[in-house]
Amino acid sequence: MTYRVGIDIGGTFTDFALLKGDEVILHKNLSTPEDRSLGVMEGLGKLAEKEGLPLGQFLNRCDAIVHGTTVADNTLIEMNGALTGLITTEGFRDEIEYRRGFKEDIWDVRLAPPRQITPRRRRLTVPERVLHDGTVHVELDEDALREACRKLRLQNVEAVAISFLFSFVNPEHERRAKEIVRQEIQNAYVCASHEVLPRAPEYDRTSTTIVNAYVGPRVTGYLEKLVQRLVEGGYANQLMVMQASGGVMTKEYIDGAPIRVLASGPAGGVIGSAHCGAAKGCPNLLCVDMGGTSYDMSLVVDGQAPAEAGWNMHHRYLVGVPMVKVETLGAGGGSIVHVNAGALEVGPRSAGSEPGPICYGRGGKEPTVTDALVMLGILSTDEGFAGGSFTLSRQGVAEAFQRLADEMGHGDAEQAAFDTWRVVNANMSQGVRRTTAGKGIDPKDLVMLAYGGNGPAFAAIQAEDLGISRVLVPKASPTFSALGTLVADPTIDEERSYIASAAALDAGRIRELWTQLSERARRYFTDAGFDAQAIRVNYQLNMRYPGQNFSLSFPFEAGVPLGDLSFIAEDFGPRAIALFNERHMAEYGHIREHEIPEISGVRLVAHVETPGPRAAGGFTPSGAVPTADRHRRANLGEGFGEVPVYLGGDLTPGMEVASPAIIEETFTTIVVYPRWKAQVDDAGDYQLLRS
Amino acid sequence: MSYELNRKLAAARGPLPTTASIDPVTADIIRGAFETVCFESATYLGRAASSPIINQSNERNAAIVDAHGRLAMGAVGTPHLTFVNQMETRWGLMNQDRYDWGPGDVFLANDPDHGGGHLPDYCVYGPVYDEAGELICIQTLQAHQGDTGGKDPGGFSLDATDVFTEGVIYPCLKLVHRGELRRDVFDTVVRNNRFATFAGDIAAMIGGVQYAVRMLDELIARWGSGVIKAAINQSIEHTEKRVREEVARWPDGSYEATVFIDHDTAGTKDVKVHVTCTIAGDQLTVDLTGTDDRPELVGVWNTFANTRSYVMCQVVAAMDPTIVKNEGYFNAIEIVVPEGCIAQPPPNKPAALGSFHPACEITEAVCIALSNVAPERSQPQLYKIGMPNMVVGFDDNGMMWMDQGVDCRSMDVSAVEGLDGWGSCPSALGSLILSEAEDAESRFPILNISREMTTDGGGAGQWRGAPGSLNVKQVLKPTSAMAWMVSAEHPLRGMCGGDDAIPYTNHFEVGSDNERKIAHTAQDLLPQGAVIAYQHGGGGGFGLPLLRDPEAVKEDVLDEYVSVAAARAKYGVVLTGSLDDYTLGVDHAATEALRAEMSGLAEAAE
Repeated sequence: MTYRVGIDIGGTFTDFALLKGDEVILHKNLSTPEDRSLGVMEGLGKLAEKEGLPLGQFLNRCDAIVHGTTVADNTLIEMNGALTGLITTEGFRDEIEYRRGFKEDIWDVRLAPPRQITPRRRRLTVPERVLHDGTVHVELDEDALREACRKLRLQNVEAVAISFLFSFVNPEHERRAKEIVRQEIQNAYVCASHEVLPRAPEYDRTSTTIVNAYVGPRVTGYLEKLVQRLVEGGYANQLMVMQASGGVMTKEYIDGAPIRVLASGPAGGVIGSAHCGAAKGCPNLLCVDMGGTSYDMSLVVDGQAPAEAGWNMHHRYLVGVPMVKVETLGAGGGSIVHVNAGALEVGPRSAGSEPGPICYGRGGKEPTVTDALVMLGILSTDEGFAGGSFTLSRQGVAEAFQRLADEMGHGDAEQAAFDTWRVVNANMSQGVRRTTAGKGIDPKDLVMLAYGGNGPAFAAIQAEDLGISRVLVPKASPTFSALGTLVADPTIDEERSYIASAAALDAGRIRELWTQLSERARRYFTDAGFDAQAIRVNYQLNMRYPGQNFSLSFPFEAGVPLGDLSFIAEDFGPRAIALFNERHMAEYGHIREHEIPEISGVRLVAHVETPGPRAAGGFTPSGAVPTADRHRRANLGEGFGEVPVYLGGDLTPGMEVASPAIIEETFTTIVVYPRWKAQVDDAGDYQLLRS
Repeated sequence: MSYELNRKLAAARGPLPTTASIDPVTADIIRGAFETVCFESATYLGRAASSPIINQSNERNAAIVDAHGRLAMGAVGTPHLTFVNQMETRWGLMNQDRYDWGPGDVFLANDPDHGGGHLPDYCVYGPVYDEAGELICIQTLQAHQGDTGGKDPGGFSLDATDVFTEGVIYPCLKLVHRGELRRDVFDTVVRNNRFATFAGDIAAMIGGVQYAVRMLDELIARWGSGVIKAAINQSIEHTEKRVREEVARWPDGSYEATVFIDHDTAGTKDVKVHVTCTIAGDQLTVDLTGTDDRPELVGVWNTFANTRSYVMCQVVAAMDPTIVKNEGYFNAIEIVVPEGCIAQPPPNKPAALGSFHPACEITEAVCIALSNVAPERSQPQLYKIGMPNMVVGFDDNGMMWMDQGVDCRSMDVSAVEGLDGWGSCPSALGSLILSEAEDAESRFPILNISREMTTDGGGAGQWRGAPGSLNVKQVLKPTSAMAWMVSAEHPLRGMCGGDDAIPYTNHFEVGSDNERKIAHTAQDLLPQGAVIAYQHGGGGGFGLPLLRDPEAVKEDVLDEYVSVAAARAKYGVVLTGSLDDYTLGVDHAATEALRAEMSGLAEAAE
């Protein structure tokens, strides 16, 4: 028996998903923030124990350990990355500070600037210039570069980002500069923009490179420590790491641009969702993940969670590497409810887990979404709820909502709690609409997949709001990100800029760029022990009409063996235009008949399929009638009444629960709203259906 | 097309008739849904349009106007467009029969004399009806167009003496009749534009409006038109109440400000904008009496609707940003604009350049006046640049290309009390995404040489203005370039004792025998290889520079925002050590002595 293990480290818990054969075993233990690899090793020890093996033997039998980490995200949230310097082309020192003019709130003149990773004193320029066609206009001034290094050395920088204009066309100056910086500033982490994000324009590339330099040493340091512990423990294979693009890749590959792990946690959840949806015959999903502090939304279309490489603003910095698109609202269970000038607002401030909602009884004084659910009777205050770890309390909750009602001059405490529930629903629906409409998707054509601790409490009512009639709530949902890392394919997703009119494409140049990308992918995959024959590639183009800022990516040729570029034929240009127009029509509903589009880059998405867990779908009625554990006074949107409460442990595949009802599962509560029913499918997962 | 029409267009409108009642939470939920419609409509346009000014600089706005012509809920887009659209839709509303309005129609308006801003700001809008056929609201979508089919490419004619010179005027033109595109009309509009991308842009605007109208249809079907109307009424009333509460917190009094434009496009000097902001209880009145009305002025006429909008842009900046931007602002605040002055011109005056100046001087004057009562929010929401250098050429097919003026880097970001100016533009322009050198150089024969901030380029103050940038570029082929310079003699003003920003300057053919300073206007053919250099003005300071924390001054010197010399001369800060090896320190005793001496001199001078 061999194993595969998926591990996802969150702020509070480290989640594990162990795959043996078809079977998945889940485990959770507390994270260890001081040294996160300790929590990983502890959990692996527990899994080995469950398998009745010593840790060494267990690790030795692991084909793959796949890991999702939030180290990069935490570094940006806490702004405690490496002391970073930037070396850039003379004349372009301040692009990173201009942010292309972008400000997050155009109405608030008191909005503070983002904390600068590279304040102006650590942004140094050198004479050099490459033109758009790659020709050298000004040679690299190496003396000036050494002088810049002296200045950065004096400031004790730990990391240096190098970003020159048009380095993605001709990287020679950056390569040479990197050598010199390495000589001049010993022990510094050095990265060049053509390695991190080889595409235009300069702000996007420079910002991405700077963030890479800032988080790079933390990420690589952490991964090295983890690898060391795993090797010492007996693990003999490569550590695979989750990327924001939704694929996993080797640590060696990640080391080349550690920024690729930023935002990989939510991506893992989406990949897990896609896998689960596919197994249940639902290729088009709206995935909603409501946790303690946020509500994350993402889309799975045709079984895929496409990674986008556009304007991804992360913690106020643009990060241009491909990311599975996850939109976030500050609306989680811990989000604080307050009255602003007579209007009831939820979030974005959160009570977090300390002190947490009032009902946690840990000193929280401000009412939260979770408190509203307690007021409404949706969450239990009975002993032993949520796996028995702690009991929620009603103490102080009603008083807090009464204060809100008084402040609004409208209704009573229960009304204020109900209004909170309405506002949360409305915020979520609008958030979803903003996500789907930009893609030209009508939410009612989707199946909702709800996960995270608080998602299933709102899922059905929100689905109804959006016209969705089916909601999946997998039992594994509390450890979905770990499951996602396990089912994600090893993937390399990279692009290269090439700007030209589609009417005058240089097919040779495109062939050359795709070949470069293919060879890079081949090297990393074969180094990781994969058979090059098993690699499948989507050769994609990025195109736009002249003047458009946003390019559309689409596959020119999909699912072909690596390096097989025989599809580049004489009709390349016309075919590219036709495919682009098709894609533009699908995205925007129109094409420009009289305009010839331009290509802005080529992209390669190479992956190797890996074995994943088999997840069943289907519902076979068992005829068994579930018995309610008890009844509770609750308001499921249409006023208070006695509502039956079921225990998840009592429900078996084939059972159906009529509305209204509440189902209490470990770590989550599922609400069966009026006009809905719940079924336990053949795999033991829940689905909610509108009757 | 008269002052009387302006009065009619601007007249206050009452609430929508409805018997439905609504609780505040439901009203807010519907407001959120309306804003989502605007967001999606604007997103649709931004993604589908081809002109950089729309899809890169995001110069567009989506709003919903109610059946009475009131800005109904919050809008999504550029603030300077947000407060105009209801005026131009009112013209159509007042003439529904004349123009045969009906479900599925989409209209175009851009007429400066019928409630519009300047000609390039196209407003495309579609009425929304309930099942009974009652008009409930209108979805509007505005975007700045790169050309308007007038005498000069781009629509900005320095010598225009009337609006006809500037381009084609549409008071209310039906583009779509009952869901069917009027192909003849569409083609005519497209023909009157120099840009190849325009057809795609206008199609995207129509598509964006139709998309939003469908969503509004669904919302009306779901909630019922009575409830929707009640929600609109409630939202507008709520905003008015909040605005009045803010005003009531300010001290009563009259606060005046005068701001000058260096000259009009014909060279007439010192064009004056005068504003009096009067606060009496919860009533704010903004009165432009005293503003220049010399009929011979050229190029500095701002449309009436635009004047109201630019006043409002600054008023909203001075208030809690969470107040919903709708008609409630206009209900709460009285705006007085004398007829015939440059802020409410006689009919048929050119309008294009007026949207820069005096529009921005109006904003600036309101800001200076309100800095007396809201110093923590007194950042002028404007652009003092006369006009970005327009570099224009033609491709092999005879179609025009333009290296967008939106490559301005840092300009006009003033400090407010407690916060230094930062970023590259005032907050209100923060959704206009700047184009980048690599994109521009891949398309156009130009080379960007430098675009860095200028040391000492920000107004000194207790809080410092952001330094302006120096943009230097070279044209690689013979290219025409157009410029209009202002804000050199009258740069952006500092607030509450802060220093003014530095002057704007502009030089053509730098480093050649032909090097010249552009002091007024230019419309030149530049030879291949010519270098142009535009110094942007930067932001004004806030509060007395001598009050700035000396440590903050030292940090500024380390970052080369401020020079060692200016630290001493402007801020009275004496530094030790050297910038070159990052060993700067503040000599506190010497600084205290110098500051005492400087403030003594300042007092003596007064």
